[in-house]
Amino acid sequence: MIKFEHVGLRYGVGPEVLSDINFTLEPGTFHFLSGPSGSGKTSLMSMLYLGRQPTRGLMSMFGKNVGQLNRQELKKLRQRIGVVFQDFRLLNHMSAFDNIALPLRISGQPEKEIRANVEELMEWVGLGDHRHMLPNTMSGGQQQRIAVARAVITRPKLLLADEPTGNLDDEIGLRLMNLFDQLNRMGTTVVIASHNTVLMQKFSQHDRIILDDGQAYLEKPQQTIKQRLGSMF
Amino acid sequence: MINFIKKDRSLGVAKEKRKYDLPLNKGSGGSFLKILMGLMTILAIFALSASFSLSEMTERWSSGLENKATVEIPAEDNKGNIIEQVVVDKIALDIESFLKGHPDVETAEIMRPQEIKDLVSPWLGNEITFENVPLPGIVSIKFKDDKEINYTILESRLKSFGEHVRLDTHGTWLADLLKFTGALNFAAILISTLIGITTVVAVAGAVQARMAVYDEELELLHLMGAGDRYIANQLQRYSFITCLQGSAIGAIIGLILIFIIGWLLKQRDISLLPDFNLSFVQIIILIILPFFIGLLAMVTARQTVLRELSKMP
Ligand SMILES: Nc1ncnc2c1ncn2[C@@H]1O[C@H](COP(=O)(O)OP(=O)(O)O)[C@@H](O)[C@H]1O
Ligand SMILES: [Mg+2]
Repeated sequence: MIKFEHVGLRYGVGPEVLSDINFTLEPGTFHFLSGPSGSGKTSLMSMLYLGRQPTRGLMSMFGKNVGQLNRQELKKLRQRIGVVFQDFRLLNHMSAFDNIALPLRISGQPEKEIRANVEELMEWVGLGDHRHMLPNTMSGGQQQRIAVARAVITRPKLLLADEPTGNLDDEIGLRLMNLFDQLNRMGTTVVIASHNTVLMQKFSQHDRIILDDGQAYLEKPQQTIKQRLGSMF
Repeated sequence: MINFIKKDRSLGVAKEKRKYDLPLNKGSGGSFLKILMGLMTILAIFALSASFSLSEMTERWSSGLENKATVEIPAEDNKGNIIEQVVVDKIALDIESFLKGHPDVETAEIMRPQEIKDLVSPWLGNEITFENVPLPGIVSIKFKDDKEINYTILESRLKSFGEHVRLDTHGTWLADLLKFTGALNFAAILISTLIGITTVVAVAGAVQARMAVYDEELELLHLMGAGDRYIANQLQRYSFITCLQGSAIGAIIGLILIFIIGWLLKQRDISLLPDFNLSFVQIIILIILPFFIGLLAMVTARQTVLRELSKMP
């Protein structure tokens, strides 16, 4: 599904934020991406959602070397990826409904289907009464739920969520995690960046990628010692 | 629960309908573009209708005049001596019969004294009696359509009937008029071209500015897998509608002004500009003009967006 080989990333002429990242994510897996603030979780995510190319190394996705894809192929890949951005990136000039419907409209779904799907999902994440509201008039927790709903509405093959539970009270936070779990069981590969240890404890059955000092380590639930992924290659 | 949602479905129709994925209707950029397009259209309408009505006028005049000429036999000779009416009439008759036998001439006719009086009375007044003033003789000529006339030869031939006989061919002032309308048509074409260029430059600039302002939103759409065409469609629809609106308002104002000017000219009876009336086809062209401007804006917007997006990875 996703393979990183000696991937490095730097911003401009700055130092490498990530250096020599190596790991493989099998299809249908569920990973937490953890690490302290500033360790490069968001940066790694930006490569995964094809917003940034690695500055060195090889990254392949869906069996394709991302560096060699043309614009059309990248577009197709991006349509199969759902992203919850750390800062949500909602469009404040359109309603909550239209925000969630956007990925479906981009992929050219018929409007009738869009309406049924979006309404059902909004109901499910507890926003059924907020269809016409503009995101910037809603609370942080509500905005986050819009962002999550927008990311999952297309049933993506890969779901990336950057600190998706940071602004949520526990009940809704659990509900969204259950939503990710459900998607995962239906075959979606899930990567969730988080430094919320309580949350990760609750879902301790999932693997973790730990970022530290520009390197990535994999931690299996049953393992107690960190295993350096780089040594696997 | 599903059933409940289904019943509730009408609520899903957002009250404020989503028009664009980018907040294009925010900010004042749109109204600037509209005003600019409106002014451009007023200018275009003025230039085009001036060119239309002048072309028509020239055509009417020149078609009536281009194969006509008049011979004048003044009632005084070159030294200012009065010539007797009998002599003038005699020369006129001779010239008429000479012209009737000329191969290039279709008709030649002496203008009757009453016609001449009607012609000069606006200048001299009706009270003037022509009893003791000898009238000039005038022979009007209509040439055969397909003939190229050598007026110099004809005039020298006519002068053998009398030194002071003159041939008036309308040629010189008609040529001037044609030159004038030609220049005006050229100006109209030039103005139209300038307006086209202005539209392209203004729309390309506006689209680039919009894309710079909304680069985060653009990036988001891009990351969601929106193709270049999907994004271009939005900006081109926006440009088309904005420019069409501005231009349509300009066209309405322009046409109203044109009709007011036409009406004023008629009121004042300025006979020099016979009619400032536009034909049906010409009015249609002026009405279609905003659509042309809208389409031009649309194509420009599309090209600009595609060019800008190709810089994104
Ligand atoms: N757009 C950027 N330009 C320059 N430096 C950046 C940018 N984004 C992140 N960084 C830097 O990269 C490092 C990792 O940041 P980030 O990926 O946001 O970490 P995390 O999400 O784990 O908090 C930080 O030192 C941050 O300053
Ligand atoms: Mg982050």
